[in-house]
Amino acid sequence: MKSRPPEAGPAPAAPDTAADRAGTPDNPPRPLRTLAAPVRGRLALAVGLQAATALAGVVPFIAVSRIAERLTTGSPADGDALWPLVALACSAGLVALVCGTAAGALAHIADNDLQLTLRRRLARHIGRLPLGRLTERGTGEVKQAVQDDVSALHTLFAHTLLDVISVLTAPVLILIYLLTVDWRLALVSVVPLVLGVFLFSRAMAGAAAQMAEFGAALGRISAAAVEFASGIAVFKSFGRGGKAHERFVRATEGFADFFSGWVRSTLLTSTAAILVVAPAVVLLLLTGLGAVFVTQDWMTGAELVPFLLLGPAVAAPMGVVGPRIQQIRAGQAAAVRITELLDAPTLPEPTTPVLPEGHHVSLRGVSFSYDGNTDALSGVDLDLAPGTVTALVGPSGSGKSTLASLLPRFHDATAGTVTLGGADLRDIPATELYRRVGFVLQDVRLLRASVADNIRLGRPDASHEEVQRCARAARIHDRIMALPDGYATELGTAVTFSGGEAQRLSIARALLADAPVLVLDEATAYADPHSEALIQDGLSALAAGRTLLVIAHRLSTIRSADRIVVLEDGRVTEQGRHDDLLAAGGRYAALWEAQRTAGPDETDGVPHHRSAPVGADRAADDIREGSAR
Amino acid sequence: MIRQLYRVLGPEGSRPLNRLVILQSGAAVLQGVAFTLLVPVLKALLGTDPDDVWPWLAAFTGCVLVYAALQGAAVSGGFRVGSQLSRVLHRRMADQALRLPLGWFTAGRTAEFSRLAGQNVIQVMSTPAHLLRPFITSVLTPVTLVVATFFFDVRTALVLLACVPVLFAVQQASTALMRRLDLGRDAAIGESADRVLEYTRNQPVLRAFGRTAEGYGALDDALVAEARADRRLIVRGLPGLVSFTFATRLVFALLLALGVSWQLDGSLSVPTLLALLVLLVRLIDSVASAAEAGAGMRIARNTLERLGAVLDESPFPQPAEPKTPRDASVEFSGVGFRYDTGAADGASARPVLNDVTFRLPERSMTALVGPSGAGKTTVATLIARFRDATEGTVRIGGVDVREIAAVDLAAYVSLVFQDVYLFDGTIEENVRIAAPDAGPEELAEAAALSGLDRVIEELPDGWDTKVGEGGARLSGGQRQRVSIARALLKDAPVLVLDEATAALDQENEALFAEAVRTLAERKTLLVIAHRLSTVVHADQILVLEDGEITERGTHDELVTAGGTYASFWERRSRAHGWRLEAARS
Repeated sequence: MKSRPPEAGPAPAAPDTAADRAGTPDNPPRPLRTLAAPVRGRLALAVGLQAATALAGVVPFIAVSRIAERLTTGSPADGDALWPLVALACSAGLVALVCGTAAGALAHIADNDLQLTLRRRLARHIGRLPLGRLTERGTGEVKQAVQDDVSALHTLFAHTLLDVISVLTAPVLILIYLLTVDWRLALVSVVPLVLGVFLFSRAMAGAAAQMAEFGAALGRISAAAVEFASGIAVFKSFGRGGKAHERFVRATEGFADFFSGWVRSTLLTSTAAILVVAPAVVLLLLTGLGAVFVTQDWMTGAELVPFLLLGPAVAAPMGVVGPRIQQIRAGQAAAVRITELLDAPTLPEPTTPVLPEGHHVSLRGVSFSYDGNTDALSGVDLDLAPGTVTALVGPSGSGKSTLASLLPRFHDATAGTVTLGGADLRDIPATELYRRVGFVLQDVRLLRASVADNIRLGRPDASHEEVQRCARAARIHDRIMALPDGYATELGTAVTFSGGEAQRLSIARALLADAPVLVLDEATAYADPHSEALIQDGLSALAAGRTLLVIAHRLSTIRSADRIVVLEDGRVTEQGRHDDLLAAGGRYAALWEAQRTAGPDETDGVPHHRSAPVGADRAADDIREGSAR
Repeated sequence: MIRQLYRVLGPEGSRPLNRLVILQSGAAVLQGVAFTLLVPVLKALLGTDPDDVWPWLAAFTGCVLVYAALQGAAVSGGFRVGSQLSRVLHRRMADQALRLPLGWFTAGRTAEFSRLAGQNVIQVMSTPAHLLRPFITSVLTPVTLVVATFFFDVRTALVLLACVPVLFAVQQASTALMRRLDLGRDAAIGESADRVLEYTRNQPVLRAFGRTAEGYGALDDALVAEARADRRLIVRGLPGLVSFTFATRLVFALLLALGVSWQLDGSLSVPTLLALLVLLVRLIDSVASAAEAGAGMRIARNTLERLGAVLDESPFPQPAEPKTPRDASVEFSGVGFRYDTGAADGASARPVLNDVTFRLPERSMTALVGPSGAGKTTVATLIARFRDATEGTVRIGGVDVREIAAVDLAAYVSLVFQDVYLFDGTIEENVRIAAPDAGPEELAEAAALSGLDRVIEELPDGWDTKVGEGGARLSGGQRQRVSIARALLKDAPVLVLDEATAALDQENEALFAEAVRTLAERKTLLVIAHRLSTVVHADQILVLEDGEITERGTHDELVTAGGTYASFWERRSRAHGWRLEAARS
């Protein structure tokens, strides 16, 4: 009742049904069966009902054939003999209607439940996948699995399954009946079916590989389309003569070429296959031979009637089942993709959960690699004592963000251990971990939800007063009150926040979540100069009394940190307090010196330079030019 | 549905479609004629002299053979037109996207567009082969059969004449019902698809706050809403599905009963009755193929309509006689802008910009500062004509941007935003998108000016580093430098930097501020910047507040004037004394 998505295969295909129903040997894991398990009972009942429907659907024709027989054998027609047959025809039709409706409704409702179950399972699973895996797969592919692939299964379970049942049942019943009328002509009526099957299987040779390619091409097009639409601003600003969206065009052209090629290679056989089972052609065969049989007195004219009524039905369903094979294949492919995603290893949940005691964070020999080849972090040892500020310092790409991302367990260390309150992060149940570790990062993500719900993210049950209190502390309350609906304003549709506002909101979020350990990107503090002071107030409120790990950009901000850790190429090269590090005269001292002289607004006491900032800055430039080039 | 097909295919695709429709129609009518010829054939075989059958059988045979030839051509034509359809549609969608103003691409529309251009085009490409043919057959074959019945029994023909329209009406009504329900469901599907994307993209923040699937209600709500919408469709759509089958069975029963009673009272011969019943079965079978294709047709029609709507969306009016800018200066005179909130609101909202007038001379640098929400980004987008000003005029080189051809305008203006989108590929590919033929020196220069050269050095794979979807594998600062390098490589005379360096760390920002000064010597620069280190060097500083320019001048002038800018400056300076520390209680 819902999408019958792409009946896109080039050809209606053969009901190489026996193989398909039995589960083809090259598909041993049977992901379809496994996925459908929760609704198997209802689907089985629907299948039974559908078989009954097919049976009841044939009965009226048998009744008409009997009527033909009665009318043509001798004596004048007798109403008493005919009307019961008419009644039988009508009531059988009614039974078919009821059973068919019930079967359809049952299959749809079962599928409806299945879809929700699957989407929820997928969502849950996505929430537990390592983030790296998500970045790799890309959101397009996740969306395909959750939306499109689940819909492909809908087509399969709610439509195709029942169609295939009727297509299999009805011809068998019909054939049995026709054999009782005239076995010779009955056998002839099977000829189009046999020819059709032969031609279809020729046309579909290698279709499994083609379908896989079809699915892959479809995935590529989806991904390219998402990218094309998301990057439209780039493409429009930079694309000269349409070269820029080449990748999208290439994906679609590649698909079109592949598809045309597939169509071309099977065109002749698949067209022939459609023709041999066309009702007119089947009727020509049966009528031609029937005429010979009748004129030769091998059968009566009345005996020919059931063949003309039912003959096309023996082979015709093949035309209908054609696209179904494509749907089955598409469904199988979808099931494989869904299963693949569901089977993707999650961040392992602790087997023996351990609760942290206290909030001491400690990293021992921690290494991490995104790609398995190069280490983003290697052999990092670090302790964050409760209530202290630790600042990570180093050039971009030195591993500051990577190190910080280990604490909220966006990634698991590839070697070494990260512990919180003595417990390995991997042994701490996710909910317990997130209660203890919060973060405010530069790249703030607001959700399409009300302002209040965005702030409540970490504590959905927080009262409105608490939300307001945190918003005030984060200096965002006034801005929120200026919105059309205040705290109830939906973000992301009519209202968008500026970077600085979003950051203050994320500070409010972290304040409300109230995690004792906090990972903080200091860059947030100066992303938006116009609310810079406000953000700083918010951060000061947030920092109070927590264990802080700060990704530092502006060294002046963190110079009173309890510990400053210098990272270079993923290794800790220096650590200590500001004064000690300056005195040591190492990398930190060099960075400090560079920053102190970097620009007019980066040194303390800027107002004194007010009269001659340009000159002062030039001097700074000269120094840097001398050192850097 | 045929109309929609023509609409999305456009003029270039319509010829093959014409041929296909003619072929399919011919085949459908001939099929009707062939079925009709069964009546005399069967009458002869049931009559007293079966040998009368041969001439009729010959006619029937001839008819079926011609039908088969036509049908064969129609079937293969359907497949061919289908694969053409995907080619034409994808190209048209891509072209249209590039023609539409960027203002058109709101978040929702972007998602819709990628759905349409990705999945949906593929969905409709099977239409000519799998839907159009059954559809045409289901209309023309029954019509032919009803007409033919008049030659055999007028009463039966009249009954059919009454019944067939009813069958069609029932079929139409149930299709319409399902279509309406589908539309309601589309909204639910769209919402849940958006939520799935949001959920996936925001995994870091959701996890950090303990909101995975169990905890993120909005996603679950959307999934449940989609399932509910589906279930509603099942329940409400049931009558729609059943009514047609019911009607066909009713018609069959009616004609069977009538035929038998006419036969019993002697007014209908036995051979005619039986032949007509055979014909009736064929007729119902043909109409039923419409029901068979019904669900697919409904979906295809909805999709085609949505595709058509996007394709018909009018791009900005392009100038009939485009003019070329005389130089690279930019001028706003009395520019106002307000969002079209749609008449529903009535209140066309506060203007985003109001009577903004300024001039950016060639080879100069102007800084635009002001609190968030003041309209700075809107100014930037108006220069590149993502939108059109609602009042006043934006000129480049003395020419109204509305009179500059889109291609020229794109070549004239380069924009770099804070939000950077990189496409999945290498850094070099992302930079080169601006100028695929750029030589190594140009590439090196762009990299040096933007600071990308240092990123390249840091990365093991250098220029060949894969950036991941949307640039996810690079840090914010690295992404920004790629996007700046890209804009520099494009080498447009007007360069607009909208908070383009917000994610850079201090050293890189300072280095870039220096590069900006170099750039100002050869370009018209508009910089929307946060850091005063960049702003102080501007030839002109514009302060934008609440959509209006409240102050303008050089840094020194403005600081002395003691207005908004001066207070920014002071607050900024004070902010630098701030230290982050854990206040121990």
